Amino acid sequence: MKIKKLLRSSILPIYGYFFFAFVYAPILLIVVFSFNSNPVNMMIWENFTFDWYRAIFGLSAATTESALYLDSTDQLYEAVKNSLTIALTTTAISTVFGTAIALAVARFRFRLKPFYRALMFMPMIMPDILLGIALLIFFVSVGIQLSVVTIIIGHCTFLISYVFIVVSARIADMDDALEEAAADLGANSWVTFRRVTFPMILPGVIGGALLAFIISMDDLVITYFIAGVDSQTLPVFIFGMLRRGIKPEINAIATIMLLFSLIIASVGLYLRSRK
Amino acid sequence: MSGLETNEGRKKLALFGLLTPPTIFLGVFFLVPLGIMVVYSFLEPGLYGGVVWNFYDLNYGRILGWADSRYEQFDPVYLIVFLRSVKLALTTVILSLFICYPAAFWISRMSDARKSFFLFLITLPFFVSLVVRLFAWVLILRPTGFLNQGLMGAGIISEPLELMFTNTAVVIGMAYVFIPFMFLPLYASVEKLDMSLVEASADLGATRLQTFRRVILPMTLPGIIGGSIIVFIPSLGNFIVPSVLGGSRVLMIGNLIEQQFLSARNWPFGSALGMLVMAAVLVLLMVYVRIMTKEEEYANATKVKEG
Repeated sequence: MKIKKLLRSSILPIYGYFFFAFVYAPILLIVVFSFNSNPVNMMIWENFTFDWYRAIFGLSAATTESALYLDSTDQLYEAVKNSLTIALTTTAISTVFGTAIALAVARFRFRLKPFYRALMFMPMIMPDILLGIALLIFFVSVGIQLSVVTIIIGHCTFLISYVFIVVSARIADMDDALEEAAADLGANSWVTFRRVTFPMILPGVIGGALLAFIISMDDLVITYFIAGVDSQTLPVFIFGMLRRGIKPEINAIATIMLLFSLIIASVGLYLRSRK
Repeated sequence: MSGLETNEGRKKLALFGLLTPPTIFLGVFFLVPLGIMVVYSFLEPGLYGGVVWNFYDLNYGRILGWADSRYEQFDPVYLIVFLRSVKLALTTVILSLFICYPAAFWISRMSDARKSFFLFLITLPFFVSLVVRLFAWVLILRPTGFLNQGLMGAGIISEPLELMFTNTAVVIGMAYVFIPFMFLPLYASVEKLDMSLVEASADLGATRLQTFRRVILPMTLPGIIGGSIIVFIPSLGNFIVPSVLGGSRVLMIGNLIEQQFLSARNWPFGSALGMLVMAAVLVLLMVYVRIMTKEEEYANATKVKEG
């Protein structure tokens, strides 16, 4: 029995490290090989180089082979710009709406409450592709031109739910005695909200906003259906590149995106640890 | 509560102010589009990508067995693709379950500080772009990719293996991408597992297998089912992973839907295919709710007995 226990206690950690290797090795591979100068086979290490990074910033024509991609540098910038515009606007709208519904559901009594709960739950259980095609049919049949605006609308429809869930969780953890005390001490409901409720739910609101921003930046499925010809986002752009065949520049773009995601994730974590 | 209720009218106004804008927004841009999609799935496809406003159940017929005899004979190909998608999604669920289950036990036994660090490490890939994570697997599985180069360099194989554009590649890709989805619910129930019950079972003479089957498995079942559903839903309708790692050789229902909308331009048929995916998800959720209420009833019953 003792030997068995020992075996078990050492097998589990060994498995655990394999598990993390499985999760992280593919990501690390991209980072390492983004500095590989071999243009023919990007998985055979040749020399250390910054060429691919220079190429995507339009600083050098690294090889003639990648000429195809140099043409698309402008497209890449456009995609990054679109992604940021969409993510920032979406975050603002869905944070306000999601928080409003969360407050209403948690702090008021009304008959339609189960309806709102179900409404907020729907995007969670619906495969993304359905929302994508539903929005495409809607925009086209109503006659709205597909653009950055339609993508913003599309992202908000499901990100409101994410914000709702994060903020609701925060409200549920909260002690409502403080709000009652404020009211008893004569604060009207607006003052109570501004001075007591809002500061208390703020970490939840920020958390929800960060989550919305990240998901909006990364959304591919819904965006893919409702992006017009000249409103590509970064994920749609890269997806297109992947479908056409892969080139070393993608490694460099992916590494930069990776860095960006890590920064946002660390900011989120830092904010959480401060609360 | 009493202090807040002195002003009923004001409160109603506040509630109205909070709910009206998001309700209008979601009504117009979420509920209406979904409704239109349902309607579309019952309309006749027009000649050049449009629709004819006639009730037409042959979109579903084309999938399920009664095709429009004016154009074609019934071909079970759509049903086959759908069943393949169900199979691949289930395989993905099982694979990610096997990958995550032991890891959840490992992390649940750590000290608190290490625990939160490792949990952070698991959620981190969720913040990394999906396309980037899939791209990594293209680099690994390609004929000239990392794995083939490695195996050939080591002299194990002389010719590159066909790894890309296979069912296996698609399943590995989906399992990899959805690991955080499986891990977190699983971990939540593994962490709650009372180890003294496991010990008690062993002390009472149960074998390891018996302890696992009678104690550990039932107690972590909510996490297993929860994680499985969260992974199954996005796997079933997925078209990104099969189109990157499966190419044109592994077609899933998501790819079919995409084709109907962006190249074949048969939107009513595409909507009907989408409804099929939704129906599958709803059936699954109903089963889930059933199991969960039974579990709860059982838990309540035992509680009553103990009390």
